[in-house]
Amino acid sequence: MVAYIFCVDSNSGLPIFSRKKGNVDNLPFSIKGSLNGAHMYGKSLKLQLLHSLTEDYCVSWKEFEDRVVLIGISSGCTQNVLNSLLNSIFYAMVLIIGIDEIRSQRNIDRLKRELKIGYPLMDRLLDSLDCGNVHNTHFSDIVGMSECILCPENHLIQILLESFIECIDSMYSCILIHGKIATATESWWSLDPEEIKLLSLLAVSENSTITKDIPIFLPFKSPSVAFRFVTCTLKPDIQICSLCGPTPSLIEIEHSAMQCFIFSSDILTSAVQTHPRNFPLLCQVDGGIIGLLLVNISAGKFMISKNPQQNTTKKLASSSHRLDILRTFYYQAVSFLVNDRNKHGNGNTTNKKIEKKNKNQKEHCNLDLNFGKETYWCSEYHKCHALISNDNILCVLYNSSIPTYSMRLITQKTLRALISDKQVCW
Amino acid sequence: MNETGQIGKNYVRRNDDEQLSGEEDWSDSSYSSYYTDSDSSIPDWDSSVDERTGEVLYIECHPFVTHNIKDDKNEKEKCFSRKQTRRSTRGKFLRLLRRRDSKRYSKQNIKMSESELHNTNKVKFQDFQEGEEREVLLKVKNEATQRGHNFLIEPLLGINISTLSDGIRLMVAGFLPDSDAKYEKNIKIGDWLKSIDGIEVNFQNINAVFQQLSSKNEVLVKLQRVAGMDVTKDPPINVLNSQSSFVRKLTSFNSEEDEQFQELLCKFPLGVLYLDTDALDEMAPEYQDVIYCYPKPMQKNKLCNAKGIFLTLNHLLQDITKSPTKLTSLSFNNVLCHVAYLKFEKKLLLLMLPDNYAKPVEIESIVKEICRMLEFTYNTLDVFFMDNAQKADHTFSMFFAKVLNGGVWTGKLKIPEDISSIPPNDYVFEDLLLAIPTIELPNEAMIQIEDAMTELEACDYREWNEEPLDCQRIFTMLGSALFHSGYLLASHLIPDDLVDVNCFCKYQGILHLSKTEPLKTLIVWKEVFPTSCRSLNVPIFKLPDARRYLLIVGTGKDLLIVIMEAGGSTEPPEENAAPDPFYVEEAQATLAHLQELGIPELAGRFLELNIGHQPIPSTTSNKKKIDVSNLAKSPQGQSRDSLALNKKQEVTSILKRRNNDHAQTVYTSTYASVEDTYDVRSEDSESQGCGSEKSELSDDPIMGKKAENINIYESDNEESENGVDGSQMSNNSFDISEIKQMLLTETADVQPIQIATGAANVLYHYVQFDALEGILISPPEYKVESRTQKIVISSFRKCCQQIHGLFQNTIRFKDMSSQDMAKSVMNKSLIAIKEYGTMFECPFLDEKESKKNKISFWVIGRLFFSPHVREVYVCYNDAIPQNLIELAFKMNMGFCDS
Repeated sequence: MVAYIFCVDSNSGLPIFSRKKGNVDNLPFSIKGSLNGAHMYGKSLKLQLLHSLTEDYCVSWKEFEDRVVLIGISSGCTQNVLNSLLNSIFYAMVLIIGIDEIRSQRNIDRLKRELKIGYPLMDRLLDSLDCGNVHNTHFSDIVGMSECILCPENHLIQILLESFIECIDSMYSCILIHGKIATATESWWSLDPEEIKLLSLLAVSENSTITKDIPIFLPFKSPSVAFRFVTCTLKPDIQICSLCGPTPSLIEIEHSAMQCFIFSSDILTSAVQTHPRNFPLLCQVDGGIIGLLLVNISAGKFMISKNPQQNTTKKLASSSHRLDILRTFYYQAVSFLVNDRNKHGNGNTTNKKIEKKNKNQKEHCNLDLNFGKETYWCSEYHKCHALISNDNILCVLYNSSIPTYSMRLITQKTLRALISDKQVCW
Repeated sequence: MNETGQIGKNYVRRNDDEQLSGEEDWSDSSYSSYYTDSDSSIPDWDSSVDERTGEVLYIECHPFVTHNIKDDKNEKEKCFSRKQTRRSTRGKFLRLLRRRDSKRYSKQNIKMSESELHNTNKVKFQDFQEGEEREVLLKVKNEATQRGHNFLIEPLLGINISTLSDGIRLMVAGFLPDSDAKYEKNIKIGDWLKSIDGIEVNFQNINAVFQQLSSKNEVLVKLQRVAGMDVTKDPPINVLNSQSSFVRKLTSFNSEEDEQFQELLCKFPLGVLYLDTDALDEMAPEYQDVIYCYPKPMQKNKLCNAKGIFLTLNHLLQDITKSPTKLTSLSFNNVLCHVAYLKFEKKLLLLMLPDNYAKPVEIESIVKEICRMLEFTYNTLDVFFMDNAQKADHTFSMFFAKVLNGGVWTGKLKIPEDISSIPPNDYVFEDLLLAIPTIELPNEAMIQIEDAMTELEACDYREWNEEPLDCQRIFTMLGSALFHSGYLLASHLIPDDLVDVNCFCKYQGILHLSKTEPLKTLIVWKEVFPTSCRSLNVPIFKLPDARRYLLIVGTGKDLLIVIMEAGGSTEPPEENAAPDPFYVEEAQATLAHLQELGIPELAGRFLELNIGHQPIPSTTSNKKKIDVSNLAKSPQGQSRDSLALNKKQEVTSILKRRNNDHAQTVYTSTYASVEDTYDVRSEDSESQGCGSEKSELSDDPIMGKKAENINIYESDNEESENGVDGSQMSNNSFDISEIKQMLLTETADVQPIQIATGAANVLYHYVQFDALEGILISPPEYKVESRTQKIVISSFRKCCQQIHGLFQNTIRFKDMSSQDMAKSVMNKSLIAIKEYGTMFECPFLDEKESKKNKISFWVIGRLFFSPHVREVYVCYNDAIPQNLIELAFKMNMGFCDS
């Protein structure tokens, strides 16, 4: 598994930063320079280089704001995923330094320095590439979407969260359990999926301190005005995140968090138990199921579970590649159907408002289209099945002994069971 | 064994007189001496022989194209009679060889005058450019009725009339059957009909003139030969004005027109570039490394201007990823385009096409196909691009004209206004697989075909020569293949070569030609380099140092393709050999024989009857399901009966399947969701499936009365025995017409293998791709105009591209050595996928209330490994219960394993 992402200044061709994933040497500068050169030469001919494919690799170029070029090389993943990753990386840059800094770009060295604090975030983003490699620490990331955890206590936590945001006078707040969103305010969900994702990752990256108070820019909502992103750790593995203006101070926020959650400690304790199953124990699934991925494409959130069986005795390590299979299945087979759908919604998957506007138009288009509703894979070792029902997509990983024709029914049943539970706040 | 010969004899006996008169006719032609002793005349295509390479591309169409007086029937007779004479003439083969020598001699010595000579002698009455005027007395048939004729003259004189290219002058376009005019040597198709009884005629006045004349018994018709010898350097061909523009485009190359076309092409983001990657030198002139470029001029060619990018990437990505670059996507003024790479040691071939014509997967296949075609015809791309630049221009101008017209072959080099008006091309799947669409005929027909082809390949001429020959043959046949309307009927070629031939025919437009134009005679002759003789990685045996030639003969919708080898066991190969008339005649006779047998009719019928002609039913699946199950529950009655009928057919269809050599996927169901019938059915089919004795089947009560009609196997079995007997019986006990009669009547009730039967069509499409055999089985093109159908097929193809792409991972991984596996950076989740399915839901668009009705359908691809890798793709209605599908797949598998 190999992946490189590097950023080059469009005008001067000077490198800004470079990240890699996998056990490989850094790319020599000459190669980076040539890759950028090809893109630059194309620009002079009024052609825009998009991507190149070799047998196993994909190379993608993307220029942002006429200022920076992001170039990504990755093995084993589709070009769509790599492209989305480049977008995410750019949003991460905006999140860290703001769009103005990138646009003006007076001093490359300063830019480099400022972006350094974003490296952990970017490295985390790289984990969302599916490379089918076992030596991956984070199997569960899906590009452009944030991970959730479906605790049965979520609706209770939601009530606590509501009272908390009144105290801190901010609309934007969420609770993370193991870095996965348990519950969030309505305004939090109104942020762009990319923003939600980046904030969730930011909260858990470099997690050495109990609290964080970082100035950030929201790539869509406010790319040039900074917000404060504050996280407090309520319990180990439980964080409360919020976006605030200059006030209140960190101390006050910590205090409010204490006040709101101190008496509900047992709720939080039991909520943490849901990890690593990630969905309620009470929700039982068929014995043939060895992995679940539930996605809501319009909200940009997903839940992934690698051990849906209650009495899992197997080692977790051996089952983590299941997540990789599910994710690859999602990237290759499901997004093949879903992307198609989005294309007709003005091609803009990230801008929800435009999408809503286009909804009527979209429905009109629908007449000419047909939508994929289900898709499945049968491999030697396992089977995957996905059911698309409006915004919800459930991908299920079965063991290979399950009959192909029964997958449909089981998936339907499982999806119903998962989304009918109102307590989990899906 | 020697059926063709016998048949020839039979035929000739009937037509001897005619033939003799024909011979006399020819023999008093003023032609040079060495032809007079040979019994056959100079072949029509002789003037099409390329002086330099010996290649031939000769196309003659019905009814527009001229030159030859013989119509179909006559042509066949001629072929057969030649054989007859050949048989009676002693040492014909020797003579043939002698003739070849002398011909060669003539070529060397009077090369300059030869073509002229041919022209003057070829058509006896022809003057130089203008052509001679002739007057012919024709009888008027007054009793003729006039149905569907354009002109009154047609039934009266027995001549079909159309206009010459100016739209006013009249031309003889053909003859009605049994007309006297047909046998009149002075009237040739393509002649300008000048006057009748001294009255000048044209398009406007012909009917009026003829009304006056209709009372007469005889008329004097004045005709003039139209000069049409258009011998150009590349490929010289007899083009007449009346030729269809596609044929003209195919056969002639107008460099001036092409230049304009290229200029226009330059504004589109497309092109071909062949680069020398070694010639990278900073100091060198800008385009030094460009070996070939289309469209020209290079300065305006978008691909050529940007070549630096592709050269860099090709080199760079190889360094980074250790694998060659396949594709680059870019956008040109917001138009998405793709560039496909193909690397040959130090050369690089680039092809750029806009995305609305070719999706990334498609362009990769296209460039591979083009390369395959070029390697087949020119051995290496270097030879093609360096030495045959004009041919390359011709090939690519045709190709790009097709691209710009949304994948439709066009006769004219017309171009849309701008990039946005290029008609988008729908997803392509089947056409880009390296395999040949095949139709299967009943066994009895196959036996006849194979028999004829084998005989052709055997080159066993003992029977025709009473004395043993003491000379070597000129060619050995490596194999042959028969196509009808673009579909393969039978092949004796090595699969790789078959794919080569198919690529060649596809990109040279020959397949299109045979599908669309009423071909009269097609002869293609070319030196080729088949894959099987080119790339022997592990030389198990030493290939003879020989040359191979491709010979395609065609009439109507049929093509007979032969690959021949000169060298090795034959006479040493000759440099740039022209086709030998003897072998061309042989092939033509074989084809004529097959046509005589009624093979084209049979194939045509099988194409017609296939599922491509059934519309997708309108009702939603659910509704239907309920309907049917209600019916099933009603105890007795008509509906029940009809179901039972369906049932019978289904059983047969399963059986047919099982007895069929090229396995296809079967969907045995209609709305077989009906529980009870389904049970019965599956039992039946299984029990029958197990008993492989075919004779048992007819006894099966289920077959009932219908058995004789629908049990294809039964008739196959009997028939094939008959067929074998027939061909083995030595003497004239079997007349060809009898065989034809028998073949057609016996198969009249035989349905093509129908996979889904029942009242409504539930199987929308299927493709079986067999890379090893190079065979693709799929229903023929859809002729029903239906939006729903279009959408279904389009999503099928799109989905199949994706599925096929994923399967390649599995196939690749299977072939990988364990060392490579460890090193490979493949996504390990993708290495063992063997089935991939997707369900789509689409509104039914063929009715007004389209919003309410929806159809759901599955697109499923499965990969089979035994006995060899095959991919099967099907598209069927969601209403079919999955367990039936499983059953169908299982049976297919079971068949293959056994």
